[in-house]
Amino acid sequence: MSPPQQPTSINPNSLKIQLAYRFLHNLNNLNTKRSNLDNTRIRRSHRVKLAAYASMAYVVGSRRAWSRAILWKIRNRAVLARFKRVDHKITTPLRHHHVHAGSVKRRTPSCSNPKREYSDPFGNSGQEVKLRKLVPGSSTMDALGLLDETADYIKCLATQVEVMKNLVDLYSII
Amino acid sequence: MEKDGFFNNEGNGMGIPQAWNSIFGMELETQVPNCFVNSNWDNSMDQSDPFESALSSIVSSPVNSHSGIPNSNSGGENMVLKELIGRLGIICNSGDISPQSCIVGNSSSNTSCYNTPLNSPPNLNLSIIDHGNSIPRNHQFPHMVESGKLSRVSSNQSFKTTEFPIPIPIPASDKKLSRLSLIPDNKELDSSMEESSLSEQYPNGETGIKSQSQSTYSNGRKRKVIPKGNGIETHSSTLSAKDSKAVEEPEKEVSDAKRSKSGEEGNGIEKEKEEGNLKPTKENAKPEPPKDYIHVRARRGQATDSHSLAERVRREKISERMKFLQDLVPGCNKLTGKAVMLDEIINYVQSLQRQVEFLSMKLANINPRTDMNMEAVLSKDTHASMLNTMNNMDALAQPLYVMAHNGPQNPLTSMMHHGSNMKSSQIDGFGEASAFWGNDLQSVVQTGFSQNHGPSFYGTMGTGQMKVEL
Repeated sequence: MSPPQQPTSINPNSLKIQLAYRFLHNLNNLNTKRSNLDNTRIRRSHRVKLAAYASMAYVVGSRRAWSRAILWKIRNRAVLARFKRVDHKITTPLRHHHVHAGSVKRRTPSCSNPKREYSDPFGNSGQEVKLRKLVPGSSTMDALGLLDETADYIKCLATQVEVMKNLVDLYSII
Repeated sequence: MEKDGFFNNEGNGMGIPQAWNSIFGMELETQVPNCFVNSNWDNSMDQSDPFESALSSIVSSPVNSHSGIPNSNSGGENMVLKELIGRLGIICNSGDISPQSCIVGNSSSNTSCYNTPLNSPPNLNLSIIDHGNSIPRNHQFPHMVESGKLSRVSSNQSFKTTEFPIPIPIPASDKKLSRLSLIPDNKELDSSMEESSLSEQYPNGETGIKSQSQSTYSNGRKRKVIPKGNGIETHSSTLSAKDSKAVEEPEKEVSDAKRSKSGEEGNGIEKEKEEGNLKPTKENAKPEPPKDYIHVRARRGQATDSHSLAERVRREKISERMKFLQDLVPGCNKLTGKAVMLDEIINYVQSLQRQVEFLSMKLANINPRTDMNMEAVLSKDTHASMLNTMNNMDALAQPLYVMAHNGPQNPLTSMMHHGSNMKSSQIDGFGEASAFWGNDLQSVVQTGFSQNHGPSFYGTMGTGQMKVEL
């Protein structure tokens, strides 16, 4: 075998590399953990999506509110799911008409402020509210912080999408 | 000194006229009705020319119309003052008057105006406030109010006492005020308080001013000052706020009245004055665009200067971040305006999230579920290859083609197999990945690889080296 060449300049600290590594790691974990459980496509894709978000949040760590919110959501998925099931069971017999979605989602951080109306200094309340819904963990910030979080979130999201695209390309070439 | 003259003439019971003199420094015609006619006026009139016409016109108008005012003097004064204020406001709005000139001309009186003693009768404040609505600019207002108040306060000592403490706290409160102006919330808070207190008074009209209203004013003032102190982002907030609050109480009442009437402009101006002359430029700049019209119930914190200052800073920050976001979101360079940009950003975030979902579905479909372990292995492998892929697609081209040739084989296994065959670049990637390969992969490989190309990799794993010799 030819002697190992100098590796292409790979910055081990670059966001992309870290994301890729983390994503694959999470994928692996998810797959191994749930290999025996339902492996329907939907569940699998959902798991992959979770892995993607988890890896994204993990790489960023606790520096950002959105990453913290995502991590919290994922780590408490089991607990939240249990609550959801319990609530669902409790509420179903009592109220048939009521939307269970409200009770089901009430403990997730992203849904903690689903319809809260924010007094918008901009005047475009609809947009800010929408943005807050999209960016996790941004419900408790003012407009300035919201823009900051959005910028960081967009950056990481774009990188994650790129990583996943590369992965898909890799697989699809086969 | 106008100030001296101002105080000295109190004995005449014509405090207001004196105040007028000191404040405006304008030459009023002697036609001014009784309470206003004052020889002192002529002395200080020459300072501000723009006011001359206004003052003269106002002064000449009959002042005795106010009958409701309990204090005869104040009644007339109120009317005249109101009109004067109105005219002044008009003049000020025209922008002819530079705050500097007004300030400089009446520097001493200005400070005194802003520091007008709280003991000034609320009646006058109300009347002035009512009339003050039409006046956007109001750095003169405190003078007017002061004069009005002075008229009520017959004792010179009151003025003197009130005035002295005023300058002193100014420097202390400067810092706070300098920041106060930056905090619109405080102003709004205060304005709300003032509103409540003022609203009570307004219906009463000029006549209704009671000590209660005054106290409410002061209370509102206090409350206002305190939150301001808390809200101030700067260092010297609380302490200076309290100090300034206590000291500025008398001023506040006056200034409050003025502010409410002048739509915070006076407030802002007052604040700036209190800031001392830390930001003389700002003082001049702030009153320039009197955005807020004077309302009786104008909310505090909408003064053009301090409020606009804070708002300006905030707007700049937001626009800075919007620019940064523009760089992130592709195709937003031409867009202008926050609303459009926000829409674009929202769309972009939504599209990114949908992409993640779509790609995750694709990934889930690509990896057959039967090869979980292989997936794990492959994940490691692909990670290494991905490292290269991202940096150099060519490195993988060959191995991938080889894999493609394998065809029916499990893509994962073939990838793994191929991965082992990769050349240096891959090995380098492997080298990097070896760290995490070791632990997880070994267990996985031992189970999963038993079926496929086990020995080759096994050997590799066993040795802990990525170099595979086939």
